[in-house]
Amino acid sequence: MGTNRRWNSNWRAKSGIRLLILILALFPALCTAQANPVSFSDIVSKATAARDANDLSGAIDLYQQALKLNSQWPDGWWFLGSLQYGTGDYASARDALSHYLQITPNAAPALAMRGLCEFEIGDYSPSLKDIERALAQGAANQSRNEKILRYHEALLLTRTGRFEDALRSYAFFTHDEDSNPELLLALGLAGLRTPLLPKELRIDQQELYISTGKAVFDFMRHDLDVARLEFQQLFARVPAVPNVHYLYGYLLYAGDPDAAVVEFKKELEVTPSNAVAEVMLAWIPLMKNDGATALPYARKAVAEDPALASAQLVLGRALAEIGDTKDGIEHLEATVQLQPDNLEVHLALAKAYSKFGRKEDARRERLLCLEMTKNDTTPATHP
Amino acid sequence: MIRPRQHILSPLAGTLVCLAAIFGLSSWAEAQGKTESACVSCHRARSESQPRTPMGRALALPGANSVLKDIPKLTVRKGPYIYTIETHGGESTYSVSDGTRTITLPIHWNFGAGAQTWVLERDGHQYESAVSYYPSIPGLDFTTGDEDLKPKNLDEAVGRPIELRETKVCFGCHASNAVTNGKMTYETLRPGVTCEHCHAGTAAHLTDAVNGDFDSTPPDLRKKSAEDISNFCGQCHRSWETVVRNHWRGDLTVRFQPYRIANSRCFDGADPRISCIACHDPHQDIVRQDSTYDAQCLACHSSSAAPLASSSPSEDRPQTHAKSCPTAKSDCVSCHMPKIKLPNGHLTFTDHQIRIVKPGEPFPN
Repeated sequence: MGTNRRWNSNWRAKSGIRLLILILALFPALCTAQANPVSFSDIVSKATAARDANDLSGAIDLYQQALKLNSQWPDGWWFLGSLQYGTGDYASARDALSHYLQITPNAAPALAMRGLCEFEIGDYSPSLKDIERALAQGAANQSRNEKILRYHEALLLTRTGRFEDALRSYAFFTHDEDSNPELLLALGLAGLRTPLLPKELRIDQQELYISTGKAVFDFMRHDLDVARLEFQQLFARVPAVPNVHYLYGYLLYAGDPDAAVVEFKKELEVTPSNAVAEVMLAWIPLMKNDGATALPYARKAVAEDPALASAQLVLGRALAEIGDTKDGIEHLEATVQLQPDNLEVHLALAKAYSKFGRKEDARRERLLCLEMTKNDTTPATHP
Repeated sequence: MIRPRQHILSPLAGTLVCLAAIFGLSSWAEAQGKTESACVSCHRARSESQPRTPMGRALALPGANSVLKDIPKLTVRKGPYIYTIETHGGESTYSVSDGTRTITLPIHWNFGAGAQTWVLERDGHQYESAVSYYPSIPGLDFTTGDEDLKPKNLDEAVGRPIELRETKVCFGCHASNAVTNGKMTYETLRPGVTCEHCHAGTAAHLTDAVNGDFDSTPPDLRKKSAEDISNFCGQCHRSWETVVRNHWRGDLTVRFQPYRIANSRCFDGADPRISCIACHDPHQDIVRQDSTYDAQCLACHSSSAAPLASSSPSEDRPQTHAKSCPTAKSDCVSCHMPKIKLPNGHLTFTDHQIRIVKPGEPFPN
């Protein structure tokens, strides 16, 4: 795994520097210091000169001095945070960037950099929030930025148990990126629903995850025959490892839901308590408005994991579909409390309210769904 | 178990036993392809009218394409490519030429009863034809939605490649028994929307009915709520949630009637008066005269109409009536459901988003 670690550290270090340079290049307006007393101006000039001369520690010291004189100088906090990030002092960089964000809220580059700082110091939950906000606000405006942010976002999504979201983020890397052990390991962690970062995994476990990641990578690249073979090999090699069949089923679902059903059922043979497999077995008939077939799977999913929002979602949908609309709505309203931003919950609620004759509630949910999807629209083309 | 009266059943039973002998009803899969001819024994009017509807003619096989039969040669130039559709003796071919080379493919799958698009096969792959036939021209033009495709060579000019998943969707809606257990089953495919496409279990019902058992009668779709019917029809016509889930927007969504009607302020999933089948009988040809639908509008929008379904006393809300139109009492849809021409100008759809249309307003999206 030496190569792996080298790739990891090189890639991340280079990525950080590249991001820093890029952000600085993109925001020349930030370089204009405010007119202030002479001593402040002098310090700013010296700080700029030190920065230009790549004297990072000198520049940091000077920016700190300037900020003592004017703590409301946003550019000072930005440069200080950026330079501290460049030197690997992530905790100080996070604090400086927090000051900057207090003065300039929603600045996407600062959110991105603070998110990366938080990642480095192990503050994963705020890190994910910042990176998601940064991406939503256009921080991924260039390919290099996007790669860094999406990769970290995917790592964090995996770490927080949002595995499907993580796989969607990793899909970005399968278009034009060659596979590498770190990426495959990270993909394997998301695929096998293991809420760890690559560095947290035991070395003796890494091979399984890399093999799994390779199968996912090939599937996402549409090398379906290769991926099928790799999954078959995994099934043979580690027949008792949970989530391997679930993963293959999940990947198959979009193109071949019936083949996915077979895999989800095999997963339940391996892990009878696998709630997410039950959820998917309920979801597939629900997409055909078939609540009766979905209901037993949905009930079992909730029994296995009552806190799983997707289990409550499929149970609510299934109940509403078979005509037990009132109970269905209760489950869906509970689910929306767990996941207020989940479009699927609002789609289900709109349908259930409508069926139950709660016209205004249905309309409110429909308008909300349209609002949630308005910034990411696709022109309807084929019939 | 409810048994039908024998004297009613007997003539039918005789017919079905006869059919069973011919088609081997024990193998119901085989018989499934023949259900329409059996359905007609009891459900004569619907079984006879439905195959003539646009849904019933949603797919035509070679020899059954009256459009191409009547127009034996169609041609159009699109950029550097010339497209030609020729029909001789019931067999049609689709050709595209760049002036030096020509690709000619047989047309086997004719999609659409009015406007027509062809699904073509080449080297084991399927393609949606780059051009389609539009009766309003009448002639060929780019297939709707494919106007922006920029073929780089003659091979790409044939059409848009379609993956197996999309193929299943196309045939799943334009044909019956085309997809079995998630697999394309060309051998059982029947062109167009037939009885069993909507009425699941017709073959079992047919078999059981021979024995006087009507327990397996397919569910009565008229008993579904307006919301459920909208989702049922929306499996092909695109339900509201399908459109939103796919983030589809734009004026082409006017083709997705279940989506559009659910966006209407008056849509109430519990009120049968706004259901798809309140206005449309899928067994009959579409009625294009606006005044035909007045009764359905006035079922809610008149002082004598019943209260709105979702203002029922059980919900502790006052019973309310829909507002009456101050302008007119007839041809309601001519104002409130405007006709929208697609950007290519060749197809016009009635916008099912019922509303007060203001002059010059953009397409509500």
